[in-house]
Amino acid sequence: MNNKCKDNPTEQQLNNKPPELKDKKGGHKLLTISSNSKYTPPWTTPYIIGIGGPSGSGKTSIASKIVSLINVPWTVLISTDNFYKPLTDAERKKAFNNDYDFDEPDAIDLDLVYKCVCDLRAGKKCEIPVYSFVNHNRISNKKITIYGASVIIIEGLYTLYDPRLLEIMDLKVYVDADLDICLARRLSRDIVSRGRNLNGCIRQWEKFVKPNSVKYVLPTMNNANAIIPSFNDNRIAIKLLVDYITSKLKRKSMEHVQELIRLGKTEKIRSLMDHPMVYILPKTNQTESIQTILLNKRTKLNDFIFYFDRITTILLSRVLDNIPVANYKTIITGSNCEITHCTNIDFNMICGITVIRSGDCFIKSLKMTLPNVPIGKLLIQSDSFTGEPQLHCELLPPNLTQYKKILLMEAQVINGASLIMAVQVLLDNGAKLSNIDVVVYAATETGLRRILNAFNEEIHIYVAIMISEKDLRMGRNSWCLTRFIDTKYFGSE
Amino acid sequence: MSSEPFKNVCLLPQTNQLTGLYTIIRDKNTVRSDFVFYSDRIIRLLVEEGLNHLPVIPKTVATHTGEDFSGVGFKGKICGVSIVRAGESMEQGLRDCCRSVRIGKILIQRDEETAIPKLFYEKLPDDISERYVFLLDPMLATGGSAIIATDVLIKRGVKPERIFFLNLICCKEGIDNYHRAHPDVKIVTGCIDKGLNEQKYLVPGLGDFGDRYYCI
Repeated sequence: MNNKCKDNPTEQQLNNKPPELKDKKGGHKLLTISSNSKYTPPWTTPYIIGIGGPSGSGKTSIASKIVSLINVPWTVLISTDNFYKPLTDAERKKAFNNDYDFDEPDAIDLDLVYKCVCDLRAGKKCEIPVYSFVNHNRISNKKITIYGASVIIIEGLYTLYDPRLLEIMDLKVYVDADLDICLARRLSRDIVSRGRNLNGCIRQWEKFVKPNSVKYVLPTMNNANAIIPSFNDNRIAIKLLVDYITSKLKRKSMEHVQELIRLGKTEKIRSLMDHPMVYILPKTNQTESIQTILLNKRTKLNDFIFYFDRITTILLSRVLDNIPVANYKTIITGSNCEITHCTNIDFNMICGITVIRSGDCFIKSLKMTLPNVPIGKLLIQSDSFTGEPQLHCELLPPNLTQYKKILLMEAQVINGASLIMAVQVLLDNGAKLSNIDVVVYAATETGLRRILNAFNEEIHIYVAIMISEKDLRMGRNSWCLTRFIDTKYFGSE
Repeated sequence: MSSEPFKNVCLLPQTNQLTGLYTIIRDKNTVRSDFVFYSDRIIRLLVEEGLNHLPVIPKTVATHTGEDFSGVGFKGKICGVSIVRAGESMEQGLRDCCRSVRIGKILIQRDEETAIPKLFYEKLPDDISERYVFLLDPMLATGGSAIIATDVLIKRGVKPERIFFLNLICCKEGIDNYHRAHPDVKIVTGCIDKGLNEQKYLVPGLGDFGDRYYCI
């Protein structure tokens, strides 16, 4: 076996570390445990893997093998091939004559690679350029948009070259191959798949690829934690690597779940029933009756939908009760009386955001209440095994900052993780925390506590029903721990 | 929560939203589509408030997790009675909350010779005496027609304490007149206006509700 690990602590050593420390150079901490610490959303600390090695060594195929074997949703594979710098006309002419040096580090916009990875790491949107080898230019109107990741794999010639990138990588893999083999692979790829001619390929190899490989790429082997053989059977090496990555991810996700639990527990236990930021729909004969109908497992689908729409209409109306007054104006009534100082409300200052799919149960009542409301959607799903939320896509109304009230809707809050992520996404898109109203049908007190703690108790939450920690401790109302609303509402039981 | 400014009068909470909705429907420059939409919003709030006064009985149901839930269930049947024509505008709001609710109609008009309101037509469910009744009329000015309509209901055997009179705007004078005749009927309203002008119209009011909802 030709793979060796260096500078890499063993699993045993890692397990002995205090839980709050991350195994990263530079002492970057994943979680801090000081009492006033804020919640760190999981996607801001993705696991970053770099895969480098000479041209034709098989980096791409090893990267895709790793992606499929670790089998984690939210794995982003970034190829530095997308980041070739756009060429000038003169350079382009050279390129068409196989006379341009694509293989020196300068040909790749490593600054942009670094920026993209940092953005992803910070949970921001990241746009990856698309490079056309036909025109030797970036395709101006085409970009790959990525938002959030659990795992980022960067693959390419100079992945292990830039010290800034090396600094933020959790794992650095070098794919080692004899240059003869690399040449053979390149020839077959360029001639068969890319339709180039033999002479051009050979000239390019001798003039640029080989010298650059020797001068710049081979030395990056020293920066690697693991070196993988590219030839023969490298299945064992890949298996070892994947096992290692999987164990790291499992640990990271455990730490995240721990953090969620901690957020629910830090505060001195004060019931949220009278918390100033939490509005709980008052119990009335009607709300209690509707609640009973919704919880009855024998309730038929059409009744369930009808009564759910009704209770959410009541809830949304309560949310809007506190809508800020745009201004006061003087009006003439239909009976020709003048009234001064009339409350003027601008209902266009509101937008709705649903967390797919349970938030979509609010769409009908929202449309009934505010017919022209713009609606954005976020797809966040909790990993069914770890409970860790993952953001899949964001479809938000443009310019979120213009809205004075953003209603963020989800039918149920159980552990609060997906709503914490959803709020963070809105904040990243420029929304002000004070303008966001979280609207939930049924929530656990613990889940709400986590959301409040994550945002410094500065976020408004409206719920129809809250199940107290006490109830759950006593084993009562455990129905609130399963996601039954959207399942029933959309008839997917 | 709603308040009780006068005995047996239930006033919706005067929130930014509600007062904003009233600004829209009072303004004579509001186009009809908006008038209808925002009136319907208020009507829905009135209906929900009215429904809250209906009694419930304990009811235990099995949840999807198999655990029992001790809740409540609706008790008693209801029906809506609208005073034609403006009161009919409130039927949809009632139906939005109670899908298959029965609705009776009462037509009362001013007798042209005596200028006294007179009952022209009534069509009510046969079993109305067993039901809770939501009497629907958007404006309570002098209370003349509402008093006659309530007389009809009581004559049909409805208990006064089972009648809820839902309106969008009323005034002290109208409340007093109405309660002098029917003290046990609960009035559910969203706004109490200053009073009446010489023509006995609500001031500041919003104009003729029926015209604005159906015609203008």
